Amino acid sequence: MFDFSVVTFGLPILIGGLFNTILFCTISIVLGLVVGSLIAIGRVSGGSWVRVPAQVFVEIMRNTPLLVQAFLVYFALPQIGLRLSATAAGILVLSLFAAANFSEAIRSGILSVPKGQMEAARAVGMPYFVMMRRIVFAQMLGFVIPALTNQIIGVIKESAALSVITVPEVAMAAQVVVGESFGPIEAYLMVAVLYWLLTGVVAFGMGILERHVTAFRSPPGSGRNTGKTTISLAESHS
Amino acid sequence: MSNLSALLQGALTTVEVCALAVILGSVLGVLLAVAFQSGSKLLQFLVRCQVSFARGTPLFIQIMVIYFLLPALGIDIPRFYAGVIALGFNSSAYISEMIRGAILTIPPGQVEAARALALPKRLIWAHITLPQVFALILPPLTVEFAALLKGSALLSVIGLVELTRTAQQVIGYSFAPITTWLQVGLLYFLMCYALAFATRYTQRMTSAYRPREAI
Repeated sequence: MFDFSVVTFGLPILIGGLFNTILFCTISIVLGLVVGSLIAIGRVSGGSWVRVPAQVFVEIMRNTPLLVQAFLVYFALPQIGLRLSATAAGILVLSLFAAANFSEAIRSGILSVPKGQMEAARAVGMPYFVMMRRIVFAQMLGFVIPALTNQIIGVIKESAALSVITVPEVAMAAQVVVGESFGPIEAYLMVAVLYWLLTGVVAFGMGILERHVTAFRSPPGSGRNTGKTTISLAESHS
Repeated sequence: MSNLSALLQGALTTVEVCALAVILGSVLGVLLAVAFQSGSKLLQFLVRCQVSFARGTPLFIQIMVIYFLLPALGIDIPRFYAGVIALGFNSSAYISEMIRGAILTIPPGQVEAARALALPKRLIWAHITLPQVFALILPPLTVEFAALLKGSALLSVIGLVELTRTAQQVIGYSFAPITTWLQVGLLYFLMCYALAFATRYTQRMTSAYRPREAI
């Protein structure tokens, strides 16, 4: 039943598509992290003119299918004169989708850092972005990375839907293989295995990164964290 | 206005597919969780593989594999049920993980007490573990339902006439892609947003079952 000639014929095409998937996802994840961080910072410490539009954007992106977002950008925007290539539209949509999802993980990370630390940093005159980088982002990474890993894997998986608007990634390559070899089961199973490997490698790498950024942390109860208790006590007095 | 009624008809199909998929996913998820807890190393390995595969590969690819695999296995069923099976297969992995997490929060003393009273395993599952698990997973189940609503848009690719496919058909004769896709986006948004309220409601309803701080 399983036709191995499809494997030998299709695998080079699929590997080529996989490299495109990795490229497009990397671009979208990097853009998503930058925009997502800005959204998260805006939602935590911006005025209402930043908070409200940011929240509306995040809710819209998180509550509609990526496929519909892609159709809107690729097929509907040309009507008002905005014509993007399939790849550009795909990367744009995937980046915005990633930004909305990442921003939620980053926002909860920022909120996980005790507020007193930010106030203390501001009180000693530390500039806002230095405070964000040295106090908040430095501490929240161990908290954020597990959630971010899930979101990054989510972006990689969702990117498969972009083949529907003809972005030349691995799921699109599968359609090419199916068209040439008439072995849809073999082709899509191969693609599934390739995605499985890719998401497995990403999860493994993020696990190493998580251990790396949490290495400095003292184990709970060893006494180095007592400063935290003092701060929360001070907060309850104010 | 007939365009909108066509879209609403499509939205109804979307909800139907997802509701059946959640039911199928819950049944499979319970079976997977029970198999995992059975203690057999082989069963645990198989469950781990299923969960890892369903969560590590795109739903789109799973839909395509199942859509082409079913006829090859001699199972000739309408697209609607192929879609239900694909979404149910996908969500069973997530639901079995939810159930495993929920089982961990039930105090082990309850099962030990039941075993001490010589209650058969089957009855321990039916009367002690699963009723509490059901209350615990109800809120995350509504989140899973919302994820399926969004994921079901991919069923348009195998030709199931749900909301997204209906939109493509409507655009075919109305030539108004912007309005139609905005309407479709709004319908998905409303459905998912309604489920977010259901999540909060079920969280409040079942809060008695969640462990309190410091037992």
